[in-house]
Amino acid sequence: MQYETHCAVRYVLSTERLKFSIGRSAILHDISLRFRPGRFTALVGANGSGKSSLMRCLIGLAAPEAGRVLLDGRPLASQTRRQIARRLAYLPQSSICPDHLTVGELVELAGFARTGLFGTVRAADREGYREALRTVGLAGKAARQLSRLSGGERQRAFIALALAQDTPVLLMDEPVNHLDLKYQYAVLDLLRDLVTGQGKTLVVVLHDLNLALAYADDAVLLKQGRVLAQGPARQVLDARAVAEGFGIAADLRDLGGRRLCLPKGAQMIGMP
Amino acid sequence: MRFAGTCGAALALLLAAAVASLSLGATPIAPREVLRALVAFDAESVDHFVVLSQRLPRALIAVYAGAVLAAGGAVMQGITGNPLASPSTLGVSAGAMLGMLVSVFGFGAGLAGQGGAALAGGFGGFALTLAVARLTGLGPDPRGVPLILSGALTGMLLAGVSGTLLLTDPARRAEYLSWLAGNINHFYADRLAVFWPLGLASGLILLALARPLTLIGLGRERAEALGVPVRRVSRAGLAAVVLGASSATAICGPVGFVGLVVPHLVRPVTGAHLARLLPVSALVGAALCLLSDVLARRAFAPFTLHTGVLLDLVGGVCFGTLVYRLYLRPGARR
Ligand SMILES: Nc1ncnc2c1ncn2[C@@H]1O[C@H](COP(=O)(O)OP(=O)(O)O)[C@@H](O)[C@H]1O
Ligand SMILES: [Mg+2]
Repeated sequence: MQYETHCAVRYVLSTERLKFSIGRSAILHDISLRFRPGRFTALVGANGSGKSSLMRCLIGLAAPEAGRVLLDGRPLASQTRRQIARRLAYLPQSSICPDHLTVGELVELAGFARTGLFGTVRAADREGYREALRTVGLAGKAARQLSRLSGGERQRAFIALALAQDTPVLLMDEPVNHLDLKYQYAVLDLLRDLVTGQGKTLVVVLHDLNLALAYADDAVLLKQGRVLAQGPARQVLDARAVAEGFGIAADLRDLGGRRLCLPKGAQMIGMP
Repeated sequence: MRFAGTCGAALALLLAAAVASLSLGATPIAPREVLRALVAFDAESVDHFVVLSQRLPRALIAVYAGAVLAAGGAVMQGITGNPLASPSTLGVSAGAMLGMLVSVFGFGAGLAGQGGAALAGGFGGFALTLAVARLTGLGPDPRGVPLILSGALTGMLLAGVSGTLLLTDPARRAEYLSWLAGNINHFYADRLAVFWPLGLASGLILLALARPLTLIGLGRERAEALGVPVRRVSRAGLAAVVLGASSATAICGPVGFVGLVVPHLVRPVTGAHLARLLPVSALVGAALCLLSDVLARRAFAPFTLHTGVLLDLVGGVCFGTLVYRLYLRPGARR
């Protein structure tokens, strides 16, 4: 008990020797991770390395075969869906988009975790929903139908839904997919602000290592369901890790205070 | 505010349908006389007697069945994410029908027994549809055509058994033959008097669950992530739908397709949020049922058609249109 209370302060979210299988095939092996408040962790790895599966275990959508997930020092499995939803928001990798639901209605649904069946929506909640839409640049499109937005706008609407949940911990599976260059940076700037300004905990799956290097404090590199490396992003994402994790050769260069990851292919066509 | 307007319009439609239903008939009765029959009944007047003892019960049955089935369709389409889901396409109505017949022909059950049997049958029919979909392994995804195919299969099977059962008792055959075809008729008024609380309970449960049920429409995992205990909520929602739809079947037989069609008519106006879709669907479903009933009685006068038959005709056309628009048209999204 002592240990768990201690944990709650330092780590909002952690896994202990997590093992997860689908049918007979083992997907995740022996994953032990700790996420501290006020840190932005990039989860990286090749396709099929188990990033999405790990995310689903972290929010309790997938039940681990062994090991456990602790949220605020308490086992996730002992908490109700609503308790979890008040602490953890999750952006899945892909979304179902029902017909005839407006962007505004979508974002308001984030309130369910707080209000439950019979609770009422407060003025402060409404302001929160509007704010979430503003931050993703959809304030003017609240009355638009979700199914009639472009792919990127839709993704931003779902990001707004996760933000509107107003939780201390956010798990986002490839949030910048489908986004144009401007909104990739806008969304990541926003996530960075949530971490630095409000002390939130973020775990974000990113494919672009340059984005991970630019925005994340920490990185976890997965390969075939195992943690290959974890720690500060610049230490984890070195040339050897990239080679091992992704099977490509890459140069890592410092340029104007930024660390850039340059796959060799890109160098041959004359990039710096 | 827009929602209040929509509700008002739906209510006006229902009112107009009710007036039409109460005043049109073998002998037309002026709306003023209908109103008088309702508020100041005159025992001497034949017209008043007709309104109160025949047309009003009949109209109330149509309203009940239409409202309950349309609301049920809206919820089933939301939970399964399948645009063709409804009590009549997923085996609920056929199951309730068989349950009823078994209780009457097998056990000579009274009203309460018939109601219980219809409920059991409704649940059984729905479970059988799900089981057939799973057994045939046509796909675990409830959104696809397989679920609807197995619903159709189950429906035909159960209707076949019901028909066979009917043949076993020539004495009572005639009485239930018209019920089997979906017959909104005043001599089922005593059934409505007993069963209406079931529909009310169903409606209240569904309204209370409107928000989590809408969330389930975003996908089960996302709903879970947003705090919805998906299994419990979808079970409670489906049970409430089956409760209401089975009670409607117990009253007037399988009145098909209202549940399938109405949500599609209403959704473009109210949006997909069930807090708005549900009440408006119920109102429009009730109005549609009333109008079909009027049409069934008057369109081919002096012959009268069973409302269920007319709704099947109209519904069949709508079903075809929906299938074309949602699945077959080039560039359909599903
Ligand atoms: N439903 C499933 N059934 C069987 N295997 C699956 C299923 N979903 C994912 N997998 C397997 O799990 C592994 C990890 O998948 P995933 O977590 O989605 O990886 P990532 O998100 O890193 O691309 C992959 O090898 C994939 O083939
Ligand atoms: Mg993935």
